[in-house]
Amino acid sequence: MLSALILIPFVSAGIIGLISLKGNAPRNIAIITAVSVLVINLILAFQFDYQQESFQFVEDISWIEWIGLNYHLGIDGLSFPLVLLNSFLTLIAIYSTSSTIQRPRLYYAMLLLLSGGAAGAFLAQDLLLFFLFYELEIVPLYFLIAIWGGARRGYAAMKFLLYTALSGILVLASFLGLVWVTKASSFDYLSLRSPTLPLATQLLLLAPLLIGIFIKIPIFPFHTWLPDAHVEASTPISVLLAGVLLKLGTYAMLRFAVGLFLDGWVYLAPWLAILASISALYGASCAIAQKDMKKVVAYSSIAHMAYILLAASATTRLSMTAAVFQMVSHGLISAFLFLLVGMVYQKTGSRDVDVLRGLLNPEKGLPVTGGLMILGVMASSGLPGMVGFISEFLVFRGSFPIFPIPTLLCLVGTGLTAVYFLLVINKVFFGRLTEGLAQLPPVKWNEHVPAFVLLLLIITFGIKPDWVTHWSEVQAIALLTGG
Amino acid sequence: MVGISVKRSKSLLIEEYITRLETGAALLDNSPQNLIEVVGILKSYGVVLDAYSINLCYIANTQFLKLFPVFKYFNGKVNPDTLAKFIWHDRINYEYAEYCMKSMFWHGGGGLDAYLDTPEFATQADKLIREYHKYNPLMLALHQAFKDFLPEQMRQMSYYSALGQFWRVMSDMFLDLSDSYDRGQITSIPDVVEFILDALVANAARPITYTVKRGDHRFEILPKSAGLTFLADTAVPYVEAIFFRGTPFPGTVSYNAQAYEIPYDLGMFNYGALYADPLPIGGAGIPPTLLMQDMRHFLPDYLRQLYERKSIRGLGDIRVQICESFQKSMFCVTTAAIKGLAPHPLDTEDPEQKLANRKYLTGWLNRILESQLIKVNGKTRNQLTAKLS
Amino acid sequence: MTDFLLENFWVIPIYSLVGAIITLPWSLGIIRQTGPRPAAYINILMTVVGFVHSSIIFNLIWARPARQFIFHWLQVADLDLTLSFELSPVSFGALEVVTGISLLVQIYALGYMEKDWSLARFFSLMGFFETALAGIALSDSLLLSYCLLEALTLSTYLLVGFWYAQPLVVTAARDAFLTKRVGDIILLMAIVALSSYGEGLNFSQLETWVNGNQLEPTIAAFLGLALIAGPIGKCAQFPLNLWLDEAMEGPNPAGIMRNSIVVSAGAFVLIKLEPATTLSPISAHALIIVGTVTAIGTSLMAIAQIDIKRALSHSTSAYMGLVFIAVGLRQVDIAFLLLFSHAIAKALLFMSAGSVILTTSNQNVTEMGGLWSRMPATSLSFLTGAAGLIAFSPLGIFWTYHRWFSGSWDVDWWLLLIVMFVNVFSAINLTRLFRVIFLGKPQVKTRRAPEVPWQMSVPMVSLIVVTLITPIAPLQWPLWLSPNSPLSLEQPGLVAQYATPLLLASGALGCIIGSTIKVRKAWSRSSNLTLRFFQDLFAYDFYIDKLYAITVIAAVSNLAKLASWVDRYVIDGVVNLVSLATIFSSNALKYNTSGQSQFYITTMVVAVGLLLWSMINGQWSMVTSYWSSIM
Repeated sequence: MLSALILIPFVSAGIIGLISLKGNAPRNIAIITAVSVLVINLILAFQFDYQQESFQFVEDISWIEWIGLNYHLGIDGLSFPLVLLNSFLTLIAIYSTSSTIQRPRLYYAMLLLLSGGAAGAFLAQDLLLFFLFYELEIVPLYFLIAIWGGARRGYAAMKFLLYTALSGILVLASFLGLVWVTKASSFDYLSLRSPTLPLATQLLLLAPLLIGIFIKIPIFPFHTWLPDAHVEASTPISVLLAGVLLKLGTYAMLRFAVGLFLDGWVYLAPWLAILASISALYGASCAIAQKDMKKVVAYSSIAHMAYILLAASATTRLSMTAAVFQMVSHGLISAFLFLLVGMVYQKTGSRDVDVLRGLLNPEKGLPVTGGLMILGVMASSGLPGMVGFISEFLVFRGSFPIFPIPTLLCLVGTGLTAVYFLLVINKVFFGRLTEGLAQLPPVKWNEHVPAFVLLLLIITFGIKPDWVTHWSEVQAIALLTGG
Repeated sequence: MVGISVKRSKSLLIEEYITRLETGAALLDNSPQNLIEVVGILKSYGVVLDAYSINLCYIANTQFLKLFPVFKYFNGKVNPDTLAKFIWHDRINYEYAEYCMKSMFWHGGGGLDAYLDTPEFATQADKLIREYHKYNPLMLALHQAFKDFLPEQMRQMSYYSALGQFWRVMSDMFLDLSDSYDRGQITSIPDVVEFILDALVANAARPITYTVKRGDHRFEILPKSAGLTFLADTAVPYVEAIFFRGTPFPGTVSYNAQAYEIPYDLGMFNYGALYADPLPIGGAGIPPTLLMQDMRHFLPDYLRQLYERKSIRGLGDIRVQICESFQKSMFCVTTAAIKGLAPHPLDTEDPEQKLANRKYLTGWLNRILESQLIKVNGKTRNQLTAKLS
Repeated sequence: MTDFLLENFWVIPIYSLVGAIITLPWSLGIIRQTGPRPAAYINILMTVVGFVHSSIIFNLIWARPARQFIFHWLQVADLDLTLSFELSPVSFGALEVVTGISLLVQIYALGYMEKDWSLARFFSLMGFFETALAGIALSDSLLLSYCLLEALTLSTYLLVGFWYAQPLVVTAARDAFLTKRVGDIILLMAIVALSSYGEGLNFSQLETWVNGNQLEPTIAAFLGLALIAGPIGKCAQFPLNLWLDEAMEGPNPAGIMRNSIVVSAGAFVLIKLEPATTLSPISAHALIIVGTVTAIGTSLMAIAQIDIKRALSHSTSAYMGLVFIAVGLRQVDIAFLLLFSHAIAKALLFMSAGSVILTTSNQNVTEMGGLWSRMPATSLSFLTGAAGLIAFSPLGIFWTYHRWFSGSWDVDWWLLLIVMFVNVFSAINLTRLFRVIFLGKPQVKTRRAPEVPWQMSVPMVSLIVVTLITPIAPLQWPLWLSPNSPLSLEQPGLVAQYATPLLLASGALGCIIGSTIKVRKAWSRSSNLTLRFFQDLFAYDFYIDKLYAITVIAAVSNLAKLASWVDRYVIDGVVNLVSLATIFSSNALKYNTSGQSQFYITTMVVAVGLLLWSMINGQWSMVTSYWSSIM
């Protein structure tokens, strides 16, 4: 069952990429693929038992025995919300791709490979297998940015590639070291969790892993690839990048850094919490000074991802659950914001807050986009009633007893979120529409479908947060018990 | 083109427009598209004005001094059908007519405004109030305590009636214009101006009166003897109050007293129809949206098709397009009014008369050139050059 | 039937939310052929339903002890977040005020906003507003109240920003949101901390917790200060008071709500929080200091304003300052009474101001005059509203003050002085306004001023009646809420004996000054430089906004610029330098523009294959050497 989540996109990617199809066929196949993956996920969701601590739907096939690589898949409360999020955002990304995109076959093939790769990484219960998928997903993303990106796409894509490849190497180095130190016979996650290593060894192995992960999340000062990648990537790719691919980093952080090196992690935690607050404040401060709407959202992403590090470093029962929740919440909200910024860009040809003005104009502007954008901004700045509030509240509430000062600093970051986003909203949507924007093409209702669906989820989970927290609660807490 | 004409000094521009007017042209550039827009919009405006006029007169004649004129927009036809339409807001926005009436009343000017402050009016109004509230001691007591409350309401009612009568003429004129156009008698913008001018001149001396009935009594609130006439006492104040001055829209201008955005002198107001920015139409705090909304239902097919072609949004931004056309048509009406009020015929050869005319025209143009006219004409020229190239 | 209504009391706030949601087809522009007024009717209807429902319950539970209803919202890990509602005469009294004023305001808005095509959006925002306010009235949970205060912040932003195309609105809406948000975030910090200290976040639990707490004094002080930050923002108290002035750019009906019940909502939460905010003497003193500074400062600001709405809104801050002082003294009952009396009278004043604005297309009081004889409902509203706010006439505020200084409370001379100060200046301000607006000769903008239509005059007249009967509240109030209400002092001090006459005298003095001082007419200014200096100092709010601009705002924006610069030139620069060589060495990976899709896929497959192959063969040296060469 789980293999299907990886294989279906891969096979479809092969079909789209290798068979020459005309017209809308690649898009339709991609949509069908995404829908079927989502359906499988929903079926799994109904069968999933969130009270169970161990992995479910496990598939374990020995692959290359002599190096200990197993094709070992499974889901638990930690990974399943992310797998679900991935399949959902993949569909959103495909749906919101322009139907007149250049080289559709290659594009959709890459997109599906990306999605399948991400799913594989979340599902893998073997360290080496995780690494393979983690690396695999880099390549299509590189091409997606490098081919369909903006003006400086080459630079951005190369920067992304180098950073994340380095991230992969560091992660792999840590994994190999772990296997070498423990003299384990395989890279199997569960068997590697049990032995307790001396603190010094843990720290030695944790350091490269952490840097690798921090690049991916990204955490200050390893973040500079992200704004560039986002700015150059097209809208659907930004949606996936922010919504899913950054989560690979935080997922790896919880699963491997916390899961495998708990003592070392707890030892470093005070510093990590401080780093998280720096990252949050730094991201927010940079966001205030940006002129490109997409950069604002990108820096805001850095700030919000830092809360996950804060929560993880606190290692309380509540904060661990909150960390997973914040991943889902950020995935939905950032995807929502990128979609809307993309819509503005698509219609006006600009994302510059000094150029755009008065887009709320009901006749000639983009009033519905503007209304949604206001809601998205509110969600991001933690307005109650939407998922951003409760996930952040849980993060702060979970972390405060352990690290009060970093938590309060992160709260200041939340306050700054309102500042930079409100400045954007006021500049772009309020005021009188400028003459240069008086002939914008209309936005059809069906173009807003993805945004409305996301909004619905953002509000639903904001009102019923237990629908998310229940998934991961047991497993997140189990991470702290050391297997 | 726009850049050049804006840069040119104002006196040169005035010179240019005076020459235009003297040679029989209109303020608005003559172009086929302008003609379609102006005639088409005046047609739907005529239909809307007809409804406004009927309602204003209905309110003036039957709803005066009522404290709760709940059904004032029903024109006496209150039945489940009209009620349902009213509740669903499937109706003409008479609020806009009242808005114009209130603006006109507030700005004043002309003989009507002056007559409302005369003792004759006060006596008639007082008589009417005492008769109307004969059996209502409470209201009579209120009238004693607040002496101007009910008379002020009657002054407002006089304006209801006067504007209703003014729009009656205008509505008929615009519908006639549309008929002439359909018959092929109107082929250019100057023709439109000529048509309107003729109609204005024909109606200039039409008396404006207002009489209400209460039981067997008739009260001549605005008697014929007051000598109020169509052109001098309604048309001119109307043009001044609605076309030029207007009232600031809360959606674009701050009422904050400390921001000093609104001038103290009403003469310096330039929020009227000729100055208004069409782009924010449809938004919050822009009252003319109501008029544009009303007109959208009565557009002739040829104009609707033009709008559908012209804009990238088709009919999606129709209210802004209507407003742009409406502004063009109002420039034609203004041209006619200027011509009609000129001391001498504009094509006169007599140098003395010409000089008097020039002085008169300069006064008008000084104000008009601040309006959207230059922008509107600039756009037309751009379209033409675009077509040619 | 009544049981059913009683059991489902929690739906009352939701009525107006439903109304707001139903209006979406109009506010989103789905229905374009017909007008937006059905949206208004629906919202008014929902408010009526809410008002009737709450009235029925109010009658049922009158004089019964309070009950709490607890909903478990979220249980996760060791945290149990509950939202609780209170069924008590106080909460339903507040709910009655909220739904009642909201109903009147919405009917009023039907007239005031009749020319506005965005009526649907306005009414849906009002519905949202009302939901949050009604929720705060019923809420017994700090978390829920916080959520609703945030919802208020959002709806204030949207309502102030209603006329989004107007330049001053743009900054006003932004400032309103950000200022309130500053308070909210600090409040959120306090909530996170409180919750972490094991507190259940319900107001009733709060009191028990406070009694048994073992907090360090410093932490208690910080906690108390953080808790009052939210209400400081909401009630427009110094130093977060300027947004209310700017928020006057919004439509007047929303201004009525804001100056009467929205600021009160913040104070209401503060009153509920009283056990925790007065936990530490430092935060209790902070309340009194903030209240005093605001009361005095905004009283002075109010008398220099020439904008009718701003003159009234600064006075709102002043009265809220008195509420803060009362809470700081733990005299909660008085705080409630002040809120109530002020809310009703201020709503009436604002309704009157709105009708003046609509009729004269003007907010500048120096350009007004002579409206008295032509606008009876409007002028009587102003007169009654002013009477309700000055302790000179026997209306709401007078009896409230009287109750305060009647001898049952521990009051002091300084408090009497502050109240007298506020009273004098309030009297000066309102008398001055009444004079310039309604008396004297009409000016050009008030020359033609017919009274407003019934949609606006009926709410005004109704509220006049309500204002006239508000003294019942201070007279009948049972005084059972305050934690330290000595119901009768053994020996009422001198203060109590002289307070009432002194207050009356201060009101009289204010009225006399207000009716004799020279008032500015039509943009003319006094030539006395000292006078002008003070006029400007007060009129421009002591230039506090300039102070913000050179401190907080400058700090944040420079920090942002610095961070952005560091990001671009230092961090990114270093990284780029490091990877410069890498970019050259990895040219081969650059995509080939002439390539076909198969080419890329082949590249990728080869890449992954190579990776796998290298791993399987343990040829890590190759990879590591590659990377070491570039690093």
